Amino acid sequence: MVAGTAGAASARDDARDNRNRAANVIYLLGDGMGRTHVTAARERYYGTDGKLSMETLPSQGFISTYAVKKLSGQPGSKTFQPNAVTASAATARSSGVKTYNAALGVNATGTVKPTIMELAKKSGLRTGNVSTAEITDATPAGQLSHALARGCQGPVYSSAACQDLAITGTALPTTDIRVTPIADQIARNGTADVILGGGLGRFDAVDEEALTDQGYSVLGSPTTQTVATKTDLASASGAKVFGLFNTGNLTIEKTKQEKPTSAEAQEPTLSEMTSKAIALLTQKASKGESKTKKGFYLQIEGALIDKRSHANDAAQTLGEMKAFDDAVKIAKDFAAKDGNTLVIVTADHECAGFNIIEKGTFTNAEASAPPANVDSGNPANNSTPIRPRNSKDATRSAGIINGAGSTDPKNFGPATFRVPTDAAHVVDGSPEAGLWLSYLSGNHTGADVPVYAYGPGSDQLNGTIDNIALFGIVGHALQLVS
Amino acid sequence: MIAVSGLALSGLIVWGVNAAARTAHAPSAPPFAVATTLPGLAAPTGEPQLASIARMHPTTGAVVPAAGPFDDRFVLQDLRFDGARVTGVVDVTSDVSEVLELQVLAGFYDADGALLGTDRFVHHLTDDGGTDPTTGTPQEHTAFSIAVPAEFAGRALSVSLGVPVLVNE
Repeated sequence: MVAGTAGAASARDDARDNRNRAANVIYLLGDGMGRTHVTAARERYYGTDGKLSMETLPSQGFISTYAVKKLSGQPGSKTFQPNAVTASAATARSSGVKTYNAALGVNATGTVKPTIMELAKKSGLRTGNVSTAEITDATPAGQLSHALARGCQGPVYSSAACQDLAITGTALPTTDIRVTPIADQIARNGTADVILGGGLGRFDAVDEEALTDQGYSVLGSPTTQTVATKTDLASASGAKVFGLFNTGNLTIEKTKQEKPTSAEAQEPTLSEMTSKAIALLTQKASKGESKTKKGFYLQIEGALIDKRSHANDAAQTLGEMKAFDDAVKIAKDFAAKDGNTLVIVTADHECAGFNIIEKGTFTNAEASAPPANVDSGNPANNSTPIRPRNSKDATRSAGIINGAGSTDPKNFGPATFRVPTDAAHVVDGSPEAGLWLSYLSGNHTGADVPVYAYGPGSDQLNGTIDNIALFGIVGHALQLVS
Repeated sequence: MIAVSGLALSGLIVWGVNAAARTAHAPSAPPFAVATTLPGLAAPTGEPQLASIARMHPTTGAVVPAAGPFDDRFVLQDLRFDGARVTGVVDVTSDVSEVLELQVLAGFYDADGALLGTDRFVHHLTDDGGTDPTTGTPQEHTAFSIAVPAEFAGRALSVSLGVPVLVNE
């Protein structure tokens, strides 16, 4: 019976849909985190037979991250123009559209697109946005704002930073949301109930007044540029909390650990911010507060993985990976206890072509010539290049960069780190250390990034998907789209 | 309340997600959730200024820094003023992979230290896939040059310099 078949199919669809629903979604972004970042951090901190917390999540796959050119259509359209350079991933995830590299919350033709966090807020979910970067930086701002240009961060408008005539033809009026400084948007649109991170310098006295008027508990003060501290965070309460702990990006964990009495060490860790954000978003409504809490949507960003990868600083990159993975554990533990939370861990793009090289070897960047290919006489290997055996170029390879070669600014040598199975006397920066790391460049790459997931609907993250599909998966889980 | 004018909003509503969620064609959502008006926000009417520049009265020949919101993120170096233009270098000292936006605002003063007027240096990194080979390289070191506006020629005897716009990552 056709009708019966259709009914059964519909019932199966309904059952599948229900399985993929979640009360809460915690979305963790390791900015710039590629597959090798994960492997290197695992080997560094837990050994080759260990696992990061993210690696223990049951669903695993990869995500493609390409952007599109300005004025491009979406995939499948005749005007689709992919761009291999990777950024704009925040908009792909949060709004489900491909866009150009500088765009936030708009597609490649400049049309405003709602974000998952806006939809969640509108539907009555509680919302949180946490980052170790300035909260106006691309990943957090991709959920909280709509801007033609990610450089339009504030505290003030400038035409060069905010307008994009290649998209709009003529300058937009300064009342248009798309050229409104991102800090001004965040302080007024109420999209996130909990806002924790850096970037106090982007906000001013008028912003603080706007936040207070909406009921935010403001930690520190934009007016006086007094940064919040982890002590402030620990005692924070209320339905809406705004706390920025540095005028710019937060301080890297390695520095805080090495200088425990510094002012920067008073910044909370990403784990501490994650724990507090979850606590604030799950607290029971007090008298006088709205009882609309149906669940929450929380985004957590470990931003400094990317920033220290740009700098090719492997020690700091690894430290930020550990800090990010510690936050993943907080989310995972909450989800395991809650039983109705989807946790997704992924990245926006890979940064710097991070590589693990075999102990004792060297990279092309250190070499006097590319690898040998002298067997062109062999019909099985007769490709064009004929090159003699290569060797290290002393002017490009002055020793281990976090060891003997640390003072040479032109040194392309590897960074080395001890791993748990190394002998007790082995130290970082020595040739005896087991983990040898190098970088391809100082910029983003086009490599697919890993994704790990746990909870209702997480099986959709197995395999390889494109980053705009994340919008549908999260939106469906929270019943924001159907 | 300020109304947003000329705003393009997608009206496309596509329902039916689950199977499609794994494809490249993610579902769209209704645009109603976007806050397109920002209550109480005054629309900017021009390029940014620095209040500190108006308060300063530098002595003849001086090139002095003016306070701005990002003073903990850069240092000004190699400052020179020859009466016709002020030059120097902004070295960004916070995280840098790219300097996306930078403005250096110069205040020019007469012999009494009274502000004559301002002009600015604007750096904007085109960020559309690095198609411009001159803008794809990380920059921490940005040289600037700001000429004395023609109407103040010969009268500008000192300078203050500040940074009202800085976006780097």
